[in-house]
Amino acid sequence: MRIAVVREALATDPLPLETRVAATPDSIKRLIALGFEVSVESGAGEAANFPDSQYVDAGATIAADARENYAAADVLLKVRPLRERPDLGADEVDLLRDGATVLGFFYPGRNTELLERARAKKLTVLAMECVPRISRAQKMDALSSQANIAGYRAVLEAANRYGSFFTGQMTAAGKVPPAKVLVIGAGVAGLAALGAAKGLGAIIRSFDTRAAVREQIESMGGEFLEVTFKEDGDGGGGYAKEMSPAFLEAEYALFRKQAKEVDIVITTALIPNKPAPKLWFKDMVELMKPGSVIVDMAAESGGNCDVTVANEVVVHNGVIVLGFTDLAGRLPTTASNLYGQNLVHLLTDMGGAKGWKVDFDDEVVRGATVTHEGEITWPPPVKPAAAPAPAAPKPAAAPAPVVAAPVAPPAPTKSKGHGHGGGGPKVHLGSARSAPLTWLSIVALALSYFLLQNAAPDATGLHLFAQQLTIFALSCFVGWQVVWNVAPALHTPLMSVTNAISGIIVVGGMLHLSGDLSRPAALLALAAVLFATINIGGGFMVTRRMLKMFHR
Amino acid sequence: MKPMDVFEAIAWVLAGILFINSLRGLSSQETARRGNGFGVVGMALAIGAILISGRTDHLGALIGALAIGATVGGVMAQRVAMTSMPEMVAILHSFVGLAAVLVGFAAYLDSAGEGGGAALGIEIWLDVLIGSITFTGSIMAFLKLRGSVSGRPLLLPGRHAFNLIAFSSSLALCVPFVMATGTEGLPYLIVMSVLAGVLGVHLVAAIGGADMPVVVSMLNSYSGWTASAAGFMLKNNLLIITGALVGSSGAILSIIMCRAMNRSIWNVIFGGFGAEPPKSSGNAPAAPVGDVIATSIDELAEELANAKQVVIVPGYGMAVARAQHAVKQLVDLLNKRGILTRFAIHPVAGRLPGHMNVLLAEASVSYDIVLEMDEINGDLPQTDVVLVVGANDIVNPAAQTDTSSPIYGMPVLEVWHAKRTVVLKRSRGVGYAGVDNPLFVLPGTRMLFADAKVGMEQLVAKLSA
Repeated sequence: MRIAVVREALATDPLPLETRVAATPDSIKRLIALGFEVSVESGAGEAANFPDSQYVDAGATIAADARENYAAADVLLKVRPLRERPDLGADEVDLLRDGATVLGFFYPGRNTELLERARAKKLTVLAMECVPRISRAQKMDALSSQANIAGYRAVLEAANRYGSFFTGQMTAAGKVPPAKVLVIGAGVAGLAALGAAKGLGAIIRSFDTRAAVREQIESMGGEFLEVTFKEDGDGGGGYAKEMSPAFLEAEYALFRKQAKEVDIVITTALIPNKPAPKLWFKDMVELMKPGSVIVDMAAESGGNCDVTVANEVVVHNGVIVLGFTDLAGRLPTTASNLYGQNLVHLLTDMGGAKGWKVDFDDEVVRGATVTHEGEITWPPPVKPAAAPAPAAPKPAAAPAPVVAAPVAPPAPTKSKGHGHGGGGPKVHLGSARSAPLTWLSIVALALSYFLLQNAAPDATGLHLFAQQLTIFALSCFVGWQVVWNVAPALHTPLMSVTNAISGIIVVGGMLHLSGDLSRPAALLALAAVLFATINIGGGFMVTRRMLKMFHR
Repeated sequence: MKPMDVFEAIAWVLAGILFINSLRGLSSQETARRGNGFGVVGMALAIGAILISGRTDHLGALIGALAIGATVGGVMAQRVAMTSMPEMVAILHSFVGLAAVLVGFAAYLDSAGEGGGAALGIEIWLDVLIGSITFTGSIMAFLKLRGSVSGRPLLLPGRHAFNLIAFSSSLALCVPFVMATGTEGLPYLIVMSVLAGVLGVHLVAAIGGADMPVVVSMLNSYSGWTASAAGFMLKNNLLIITGALVGSSGAILSIIMCRAMNRSIWNVIFGGFGAEPPKSSGNAPAAPVGDVIATSIDELAEELANAKQVVIVPGYGMAVARAQHAVKQLVDLLNKRGILTRFAIHPVAGRLPGHMNVLLAEASVSYDIVLEMDEINGDLPQTDVVLVVGANDIVNPAAQTDTSSPIYGMPVLEVWHAKRTVVLKRSRGVGYAGVDNPLFVLPGTRMLFADAKVGMEQLVAKLSA
C-alpha cells in the first residue's frame, strides 16, 4: 500500500503558516516496517527542518509530480483538514482517487460541507481529533501530543515578552523576585505549561474546576487554587463542564484577587462543542500590573480572555495579550515527530499494510472514522458506559483546536494504599534486632549448655530430653535473632553457608564409625561422613567464591 | 567426665558459637567473608575434636572419606556457574538429607543390642523421616531447577489426600517400629523412609517454578531440622544447636520469601498455587486490553542516552540468558555518561533468595548500586527509564489493582510510575505465576522482544558506537 505525505502550507496561505508535516524520517522508517511504501511531496518537511534528502535516507521516495502523488495514494497523511491546492488548481478531495483513506485533523462539526464532499468521493476519513480518549488510544491521541507542546511553547512566548526573570535571584545589585504564573485549566496543555514555568524557576499556581486534577497540579510543585464553593466540574472526556452561576461568581472573585498578584496568566479552558468560555474579563486584565503577559491558548475557539484577538499580540492597559493559535507549530520538528508517531500507532492499530482493515469493532477506529464507503459515520454511536469516567469517549464534535485542555492521560493503576510506606506488606519486618539481645542469648545458651551438662552429666530418659529441648529452644531463638539481620543481598551466600554448617551431621557419622568396618552400621556411617563432607567442602568453598565477587 | 570428654565439650561449644558468629557475619557485605571464615574454623574444630578424641577405630578410613568428600565438594564449588547456583544449593541440601538417613540407620543398627527405649526409637524415626523428605525433595528441586523436569506444578487429583495418607501412614509405622525388639523394626524403618521419600518428591513436584525460592529455603530449613533430630538421637548437643540454627535460618528465609509473594507458607508447602481454576467463571479477570508497543534497540539506546536516571530490574530471564555481564557493560557505559544507573531487586527475583545479587556480583557490579524493593520504589517516579530484563510477575501492577488476580497483594516493583518502562522479553508470554501482565499494554511501556543477552549486547554496541 502506498502512503502519500504532502505539503501542508503554501506561501499564499494566510498567516500563520502551518509548519508541521504528517510524517518525519523517523515515522517513515516505522511505516516502511509496517509494509507501506511512502512517497513524499518535495519540500513537505522543509518548515519542520526535514529536508527531502532525509526522507530519501529513511526509505521514502520523493514524488516527481505533486498531482500524481495524490492520485497514486491509498492512504494520505495530513495535519490540517483537506483543503484546496491553488498551486495544483484543484481541491485535495478531488485529487485523491475514489475510496482512498485520509488520516488527519478534520473537525467534521464545523466542516460539514467538506464532510459531504469526502462522503461523495467515498473517502475513508479518520479524524485525529476524534480518536476516543481511552487509555488504549493514548498513543494515538494527537490532541494530547500537540497540547503538550503548545503548553510548553506558551510559557516560552510569555517569557519572551515578559520584562523580568522567571526565577528569583539575589544579585549584588539587589533582589529580583520570581515570576508568579497562573495557569487556568490543568489539562495536558496546562500541566505542560506548569512544568515549563516551574522549570524556569517561576512560582506556579493553577485553577481547575475538576477537583481530580489537584493531585496532578501539586505533583508538579504547583499550588491548587480553590474557591470556597463545592461543585465538581468534571464533564467527562477530560473536559470540564459549565458550572453554576454561584460557582462562577466565586471563581471570578478568586481571579480578580489573583490578577493583582500574578505576572503571567495562561488560559486553556475549552468546552466541547461550544465557544471557549470567557473567564478573564477586561476588568481583570486592567487589574494586572503593566508588563504582565496573558497567553490565551483558547484563542482559536474565541478565547478565554475578553481582549484576545486570534493570531495577534494585543497590548491592553500595558498588559500583553497573546492570541497565538499555532503554538504547537512553533516547535515544528517535535510537533511533527510526535504527530507522526500518533499516526504510526493508529496505522499499526489498523493492521499495517499487510493486515489493513477499517474495523468498526475497534473502538478507536470507529470513533475516529467520520466517512467510510460513501456513508457519513459521524458522530459515532454512543457506547453506554464503555470505560471508567475519566476515559469516557470524547464528544466527537469537539470544536477543540489543537490547543485543547484535555485532562492528562489517566494515571494508570496508581494506588495509594499499596505504595511506598503505605499499607503495603512489609518484607523486612524483623530486620532490626539489637545486637545486645543476640549476645545475651548466646551467653545464655552457652551457660545452660554447661550447667545442664554438669548438673546431671549422666541424665537419661526424660531428664536428658528436657535438657536437649532447652538447648534446642535456645538455639532456635539465637538463630532467629541472628538471621533476621542478614542483608537480602546475601541470602544466597547465607543458604550456602548454612548448607555447609548443616554438614555438621558428619559428626553423627563419625561417632558411629567404630567397631568392625564391615558392619552395615559402620559402612552406613562412613557413607554419611562422605556425603556430609561434600556438603561442608562445597558449601564453604562456594560461599567463599560468591563473597569474593561482592565488592563496592 | 574424662578429660577427653571435657575437651570435646569445650571444642563443640566453641564450634557452636563460631557458627552463630558465622551467620551474624553475613548480616553485611563487609563482615560476610569473616563470617564464612568463622564457619570454616568452627567446622574444623568440631571435626578435629572427634579425630583427636580417639572415639573412632578407623582413623584412616575416616580421613579418607573426609578427604574424598571435601575434594568432591570443592571441585563442585569451583566448577559451578553462578547461574546454576540454585541447582548447586538444592543438591547440597539433598546430601544433608541423605547423610541424616544413613546416620539414622546406623544409629538404629548400633542401638539394637543396647535397647535405647521408646525415646530413642522415636528420635531415630524422626531423623529418618525428615532426612528422607529433605533428600528426595531436594533432588526433585534440583531436577526442576536444572530443567530436567518441567517447572510446571504437577497437580495430581486428590494430592492433598495423598499427602495426608503418606504422612499418616509414616506416623502409624512408628508404632510397630518402636515396639519391635532388636533389629526387627528395620523393615518398618525402610518402608517409612521410602514413603517419606515419595512424599518429598510429590511435595516439590506440586510446586511451580516461581515458588522455587521458597522451596529451596524450606529445604534449607528441613536440612537443619534433620541435623537437630540427629542430635537428639545421638544425645549430641552440637548437632542440636547447629541444626536449630540452620533450621531457623531456613525458616526465616521462607517467611521472607512468602511475605515477598504475599503467600501463606502452607500454600507453598502443599503446592498448587497459580494453577487453581478461577473461583467463579462469572467474574474471571479480564485479560488486559490493548496492544503492546514494540520498540527497537536504536530507540531504546537513544532513550537511555537522554535519561538522567535509569533503573534496571533483573529477573530470571537474565539468569537464563546469562546476560549479567552484558548488563554490567551497559551500566558502565551509562555511568560513564553521567547517567545514574541502579538495580532494583525484588526479594523473589530468580529461583533462589538473593539469586540476582549473586549474578550481579559475579559480573562485578558494585553492591552499592544494587537496591532492594523498598529502597527503590520511592525513587521510581523520578526515574526516566526503567529497563526490565527478563522479569514479569515482580513488576505486575495487577498485584495492586486487580483483586481477582492470583498474585493480588504481592508487593511488586512499581515500575509503571517511571516516565518510561521498557520490558526486554523473549515473547509476550505470561510469567511463572501464569498471570497476564497489564504493564505490557500501559501507554508508557515499550516492549523489546529479544533474548536478554543478545538484546543487551546490541544495546551496548549501539551505545558505545
